Order: sequence, then C-alpha cells, then structure tokens
Amino acid sequence: MSISEADVRHVAILARLALSDEQVSRLKEEMNSILGHMDQMQSLDLEGVEPTSHSIPLRNATRPDVVKPGLSRDLALMNAPQAENGAFVIPRIVGVEEGA
Amino acid sequence: MSFDVSTLSARAIRDGIAARTFSAAEVVDATYARIDAVEGAVHAFNELTPELAREAAGRIDAMVAAGEPLPPLAGVPTGFKDNMNLVGTHTTCSSKILEGFKSPYDCTAVRRLLNAGALPIGKCNMDEFAFGSSTENSAFGPTHNPWDLERVPGGSSGGSAASVSAGMVAVSLGSDTGGSIRQPGALTGTVAMKPTYGRVSRYGVVAFASSLDQIGPFARSVEDAALVLNAISGHDDMDATSVREPVPDFTATLGDGVKGLRIGVVRDMLELEGCAAEVRSATEASVKLLEGLCAEVGDVDLPMSQHGLAAYYIIGPAEASSNLARFDGIRYGHRVAEPSDVLDLYMRSRAEGFGPESIRRIMLGTYALSAGYYDAYYGTAQKTRTLITREFEAAFERFDVLITPTSPTVAFKIGERAEDPLAMYLSDVYTIPLNLAGLPGVSIPCAKCGTSGLPIGVQVIGKHFDEATMLQVAAALEGALALDMTPPAFPLHRRSS
Amino acid sequence: MARDRLPVVLERYEAVIGLEVHTELTTLNSKMFCGCPVEFGGEPNTRVCPVCLGLPGALPVPNEAAVEATVLAGLALNCEIAPFSQFHRKQYFYPDMPKDYQISQYDLPFCGLGHLDIEVDGDGAKQRVDLGAEPYATRIGVTRIHLEEDTGKMIHVGGVEGRIAGADHSLVDFNRAGTPLMELVSEPDIRTPEEARRFAQKLRLILLNLGVSDCSMEEGSMRVDGNISIRLRGETELGTKTEIKNMNSFKALHDALAFEIVRQADVLDEGGRIVQETRHWDVTAKRTSTLRSKEQAHDYRYFPEPDMVPFEFTPEWIDAIRVRLPELPDARRERFVRDFGLSPSDARSLSEDVEFSAYFEEAVALAGNSLAKPLANWALGDLSAYLNAGPVALADAKVTPAMLAELVEIIDDGTISGKQAKQVFAEMAESGDAPGAIIELKGMKQVSDTDAIEAAVDRVIAANPDEVASYRAGKTTLIGWFVGQVMREMRGQGNPALVNETLVRKLG
Repeated sequence: MSISEADVRHVAILARLALSDEQVSRLKEEMNSILGHMDQMQSLDLEGVEPTSHSIPLRNATRPDVVKPGLSRDLALMNAPQAENGAFVIPRIVGVEEGA
Repeated sequence: MSFDVSTLSARAIRDGIAARTFSAAEVVDATYARIDAVEGAVHAFNELTPELAREAAGRIDAMVAAGEPLPPLAGVPTGFKDNMNLVGTHTTCSSKILEGFKSPYDCTAVRRLLNAGALPIGKCNMDEFAFGSSTENSAFGPTHNPWDLERVPGGSSGGSAASVSAGMVAVSLGSDTGGSIRQPGALTGTVAMKPTYGRVSRYGVVAFASSLDQIGPFARSVEDAALVLNAISGHDDMDATSVREPVPDFTATLGDGVKGLRIGVVRDMLELEGCAAEVRSATEASVKLLEGLCAEVGDVDLPMSQHGLAAYYIIGPAEASSNLARFDGIRYGHRVAEPSDVLDLYMRSRAEGFGPESIRRIMLGTYALSAGYYDAYYGTAQKTRTLITREFEAAFERFDVLITPTSPTVAFKIGERAEDPLAMYLSDVYTIPLNLAGLPGVSIPCAKCGTSGLPIGVQVIGKHFDEATMLQVAAALEGALALDMTPPAFPLHRRSS
Repeated sequence: MARDRLPVVLERYEAVIGLEVHTELTTLNSKMFCGCPVEFGGEPNTRVCPVCLGLPGALPVPNEAAVEATVLAGLALNCEIAPFSQFHRKQYFYPDMPKDYQISQYDLPFCGLGHLDIEVDGDGAKQRVDLGAEPYATRIGVTRIHLEEDTGKMIHVGGVEGRIAGADHSLVDFNRAGTPLMELVSEPDIRTPEEARRFAQKLRLILLNLGVSDCSMEEGSMRVDGNISIRLRGETELGTKTEIKNMNSFKALHDALAFEIVRQADVLDEGGRIVQETRHWDVTAKRTSTLRSKEQAHDYRYFPEPDMVPFEFTPEWIDAIRVRLPELPDARRERFVRDFGLSPSDARSLSEDVEFSAYFEEAVALAGNSLAKPLANWALGDLSAYLNAGPVALADAKVTPAMLAELVEIIDDGTISGKQAKQVFAEMAESGDAPGAIIELKGMKQVSDTDAIEAAVDRVIAANPDEVASYRAGKTTLIGWFVGQVMREMRGQGNPALVNETLVRKLG
C-alpha cells in the first residue's frame, strides 16, 4: 500500500490540518517509510485471532447515576479564546456540515 | 540546617522533617536553590510552582508543630510531567497549542501524591503530547541529560527523569505509553517504573493513547519509587479503566531477596541487532548477580514481541489522532488570528499549534483508521497485540519476572535522531511490548558505560498486578550493584550551546 | 397539496420507510459520562465539567442507569440483548461536540433485533391501498437500540431566524453536551406516513411508561428522522433513499413523509432520478429541501472507545432488568377489557398514560370492578375535560381517585342524579372537597321518597290542567316537560327515574 500526495491531503482534511505543499510531500515520504516498516505485521498468521483493545480483562465499568459538582462557568470559560454572554464564540459556519 | 536535598531519598526527607532535623519550608528553599544552580543547564521544567510548594510545606510544618503523624511522602519535593493537570498550574504538554492553558481541575494521581504530603515543585518538560523518546520535541526547547548536557535525557518524560537525576526533586511522575518513563529512566540513571495498566488512574493526564498510557514514578531508589506507587495506586471512579485490585504496601517485600524466584532472560531481545554491546553485557552481568543471589535463572524467547513496535506505531497514533481532535481552538488552546470560518479555524489553528511529530502521528493515526485501511492497520495491530499478550502469559507460566535491557543504547546526542523518525522509534523496542500487554515494568540503573560513563538501565517485567515481586527483584539487584548514580561533576559541566 | 395527492401516488408506488429515533434519557439524574445534571435550558455553560467540556485529560465513565434504561427499552421492544457490547468513537469535527468525536455504539450495540406491533385504523388505514380501508395491525422490526451522548447547542447570531446560513458568528453552550441519548433504528418495514406516525407515537408511549424520558418532541428530547424510498408496486428492488430531518412533531413526521413520497414520485414520473441525500423538513413552507448530499459523506473512523472497557451482560443481569419491566399499554388495555368489561376503545384511552391508568385503577380498586364502566366514563369525560382545560397535571388535580370513586358510588346508590353529579364534580375540582361533603353542604340529596314525589306530582298536575289535557289527548312527548316541572318543584332533588314513573302512572 503506497500513499500518494492526494491521500495525504485527504487525510489532512479529515484531521483538520492545513498543510503546506512541502509538508505534504515530506509526510508522504515519511508515512510510506513508517507504514512500510509496520507492514511486517502482515506476515503474521492472524487467522482466528481476536483483537485486543485492552490488555486487562475489565468489563462493565460504570458509575452510579449520581450528580457531582462540575465547574463554575468562570472556570469553564477560563481558557476560552473568545467568550460572550457565558458562551464560547466561534466564527461563522460555512456550508452545513455534520450535526444538523 | 545542613542537608543536601539533592541526594536525600524521599524517606530520608520525610523522616528528617518528622525528626525536626529540618522543616518542610527549608526543604522547599533548598530545592529551589538547587534548581537555581542546575536548571539553567538542564531545562527539566516548563513551570516552577514555588507558591504551591510553600503552601504545601506550610501544611506539613503545621502538622509537625501540632505533633500530628506525617503522611508517607510529607515534604518530599516532587515534579509532575507537564501533561498532568493541577489547579494553579499551566498544563501545556510542551505544545504551542496548549501554551498558557490553565488547569481548572486536578489529575487524580497528582492529587493523591499531594494528599500523601508531596510538595509540588514544578511541571516537567516532555516531548510534545508525549510523542518522542528524547524530549527534543518540546515547543519550549529540549531537556539536557544531566550526565552529559550534549545528550538527550530520553523521553517523552525527559524532564521528569532529568529533574530527579539532577537532584532537583526527589521523585517525579511521568507517563508511559511505549516506554516514556522507563527509557528516560535508563538514560538518566534513575529508577523508573510503569505500573500495570489500570493500577493508577489516568484521570487528568492528557491522553496520548488511552489503552496504553499509564502514570508512574521516577526516583533515585526502588524504595522511593515504591512509596510513590503506594500513594498513587488504586481505583478511581473517574477512570473506567482503573481496576479495583487490592493495593499492597509495595515497600513491604522490597527486602525479601530473590532466592528461589524464577527469573527469565528474554534471550532473543537481548540478541537484537540494534542492541549495543555494553547494554547487552550490562544486562548479562545483572542476571549473573541475581543468579548469585540464588534466583533461578532461565532463558525465554518472545518472538511476537518483535512485532510490538509495528503494532504500537499503528495503535498509538490511531488513538492519539482521536484524542488530539479536541485541540480545535474552540474551548481552549491556540486559535489562529482572524479565521474566515470554523473550518479555517480548525485547519490553521491545529497546523500552527501542533509540532512536526504531533502532525506526523495524527496523520499516521487518521490514515490507519480511515475507510478501507482500518482492517489492514488497526485491526491487524490489535490482533498482533493479542498474540504478544498470549506470549507473555506463556512466559509467565515459567517465570515470576522477566528481564530485558530498557533501551538498546545509552543516551544519544541531541539532534542525532531528530531527522529519522524510525531510528527514534527503535529506542522503545524493549519497552513497547509491556504497554501492549498492559504489564508492569521497572528500569533500574545497572551499570555505567565503560567508554562514556553514561548510565545503562535494565528492565524487570512483572506479571499483571504483581508490581511487588518485580520491585522486590529490582531492589535486590539495586542492593547488590550499590551504584552511585549521581551524575559526575554536575553541575560544573556546562552546556556549550 | 402533497397530502391530497398521496392516495393517488400510493396507488402506483409503494413507500419503504425506516425511522431513526433519538431519545434523551431525561429522567436520569446525571449525564452519560459525567456527574453533571440532566436538565433542560438554563444559563449557558452552567452544567458542565471537565468531562463534558472535553478538557484535556478528562475521561468518560458510563452512567450505569443509562445502560440499564437502554436494555430496559430493548426488552420492552422484544430486542435481543447483546451478550458482548462496546462503545465506539464516531469521529468528526463540529463546534458543538466537545471532543470532536461522539462516544456512540457501532457494530456492537446493547440491543439487537426486536419489533413493535402497531395498529392502524380510521382514515390512516386508507393509506394502505393494498389492504383496503379496513383497520389493520402490522409488525415493524427494530434493527437495534444503542446509547450515545448528545451534543451541545449553538445560537447563530446575525443571520435570519437563528439559522446557520448567513449568520455572522455563533455561541456554543455545552449544557446539553453529554446528555444520555438512546438511538433506535427501525427496519424499513414502514409503508405509509400513518404507520410511521403510529410507530413513533407508540414508541413514545412505551418509553414514557418505562419512565426513561419525557419524550418531548417540542423540546427535542425525542427526535425522529426518516429514511424513505419509493418503488413501483410489485417491484422488489429498493429505490434510492433520502433521509428526512427536523420533523419536530408527529404531524410533521406524517406530513414530511407524505410530501417526500409525492416529491419522489414526481421526480420519477418526470424521468428523473432520486439523489441520495439528507433533506430538511420546513414546517412553515411544508416542504423538504436538500440539507447535504451523501457525496459529501464523512469518514467517521469508528474505533473501539479506548477509555472504556466492553460490556458483557449475563443472563442473570438481563433477567434482573427484565423484572423491572412495567406493564405496557397493550397488556394493560387487554386487562381492562378482560377484567373491567370496558370497550376496547375506552380501554386503550385509559391504558396509554401510565399515571392516568394508575389513577383509574386506584379508583376502580376503591369502588369495585362493577363500577369500572361508569368510572371509565367519568375519567374519560369530565375528568379528562377538566385536565385538558387547565394547566393542571394529574398529580396535582384536586379530584383524587378516592373522590371520583365516592362520587360514582353515590350516583350508583341513587343519592344524586347524574346531572347533580356533574355539579358535584365541578365543585370537587374547584374546592377539593369530598363529594359527600359537597352534597351535604348544598343540600343536594336526591329525593327517592315516594310520598314526597307523589305530592309534588299531584301539585304539578293540579296546577297545569291544559297540559294534562293535551297529554291525555295523545301528546305524550310532554312527559319531559312534566318531569322538569316536578324537578323544579323539588328543587332538583327528585330521583328522575321515580318522578318519571310516578308521572306516567298518574297521567295515564
């Protein structure tokens, strides 16, 4: 599997990273080199092997339905780049994306 | 007062305060005096917190004055990796994207350590978001190895390691996703351990790879590391992956020796091509010492673990790419000037805020999870992980602990591997399999390199939740080696740059 | 009008509809993954914490009650409960989503295949042209039910009517972020807009009965999206589907789907093709319009949520949840018909609402099963009218089940007339006094004493010779007038049946 510059640009949009042409071409080389190395796993016989998403056999970890104190609004907004009337301010949204 | 805080153990500091030999306030003064002397050369800290430290010291001294019993780490100067939240500090992850971020809440492990009496001295430098093995990937400049200022201290918890090695704090906390505690421990001659996954709450430590991350201590002795582990272990309601296993007193069995314990030397790892000769011989010498202490020593091969690096560099970036999505310039963090719209805000804020290694990992991880590639990369890596875990389980049928080198080489020169990500990634070849399998590991200094005099570490690997036996072996080895791991001629050795 | 053309279109085309229903678990105390309270509205960003703000280092821990509520809903809808399930991350960037991924479930949801039986009658039945206009019952498959977290809310400033388009900037409030959200996906078994409406209404009733949500479509705690395609009758291949959003009421759900069926038919009839896309129902314009096309579909990069561990439900655990299943409306309706002899239609009206049916049953328990029918009449009549008229919740109503039972008993033993009873009810609703006390106070006791009645009848007959003559000449309809006169004579307290009987006897 070889990654093209178009692939890199597509992934950069998914990851929301504005990359320069120079970054794109360098990342293309690096990603191909790194993933090429990772391809050694493909030689393993993984037929019938279950994937592990956690190494410890924990199950059903939940918490009771109890209200706990949260953050004051001041603390919630303390690090906001821009805030107004107790809310986070964002610039306009162009084109309707997700979430509607 | 006459005491050298830079060499005292945590226990000695606590006992000294309890005995009124010196006060906690004096410990704080001595600590910052030491930092004044050496921090300029080392750059272990992103932020110093003298006010918090003096406040905490005041509480300890009040307890002494009132004749109250002191908690186990009372007055012990402590450093925290800069990915751990603590109210009153900034938490930057050594990234421009979080520069100036003020913590509105506390990391559980940090809070527990402070509740045990520790003094918060400062926040330690790291590779940006813990991506790296050298602490060169910090937006605020690299940390220098106290043993040789031209060299890296390892990483990503390089600041936490260097601060302990250079005697600026007695203990510190780091986080370990693929070796980020143990490898810098080896490179700076400190005791550095990663507990079993789930042993210590991850709440409040900025996540790199959630299924691999674990917080652990740096110390100048196995006993101090065990004291810290005592304080930070145990279930936390705020972390669904923290376990309810009972927490023993990890110091209780440190003196029990290794007689009759079955110790497995991971032979194929030792024979690995990239492993430096002096590292190999130091590891062999450690094993011989243990054998001399009447341990039952045998060899074991872990061929699957050689695929650990490949699995890790899929799983780690995949989880990281997701965990780092939240740094979007909306609620906190760097926001680009004059964004034309929300998409522009995301794209440019993130591109400006993240350093090159972060961008590399986000890109790798996003690619590995994207449509059409999930099975080939993430799916395969998770299955490889299963095989690695099984292989360890089989080895632990035969052995109580396993031994490998911690790092294939001693500390390398700053800049030496910066342009070659793959070479850098190989630094963690011995440490990564433990994270994939969730096992505990501790690195302790086992030798100084014959030519460079630089520290070499050996890694002791324990069974799940059996840190006690692992530390018992480490303590026995530490005792038998009786090394002086004070960096030579420090701080006279000024960095030239 | 699309609605008018729907029957004609449905003669030729069959619609294939599946619904996605998002329900906020509003009856829980705390959010899905943190301890912030679940409430509606409030000042922005006042119910937030590091977890639901997605602060660096914060970790989600699933709310046990939310998991249980989802499994409970699954059991109520006859779903298979998965022995192994897991949360996944669904990844996309959006300003109202704090972590820029949503914790949801992907291929391992809590609840698998189930079903819901619906009944369609009245005009709605006519939409099934293939079945004739008869009332019918049909089974709608449930594909899955899973659990996820809701997003925050945005206020768009500087544009028109708070819409995104044209806004200058937006304000983000994370109070709602992290509210437990249960998503049900139906099989594409729905064939008409009316079936869609009945499905959603019945689902709402069940969820209300389970007590997991207030299911308010107005406040958005229940949100229904539809996937719809059409095909020529007899065709087995599925057509291209569109997804319809923003259907904020049951009427909107029905009308939007009806519009979309007609729209798609028009496109096909003109030789066009349906574009796979998401469309927005505009309730004012009464039409759907393109929101986004699937060509822009996002790559969600689902992967198992590494901050959480999987779920494995044992049969014992599932049984313990099953025990908590309350009686559902269908079962209750059957019981009301069987035990109380109510008509199916009365039984349905009484059984749907959990509080209302409990009220009714409490009254029946006090008055006895033999009085269930009159109690049902009172509950569905005056009581419902009283509740519908004012902003009074059943729980706060001054008329208690005991009072209603007493009233019906008093009517039954003939103490007061039905007409008097209505007055008594109005008085009870006003004052909250018991009916016995009201009757006593107002002197409303019905007179069944035959001597008193005969005396009054005699007085009326003596006073109205002309009317008596007309009656006797054959104008028997005057009997009602005579009853009225006697009742007036007795200040309304005569037993109407006895008065009538006595008059007929004496005039005859």
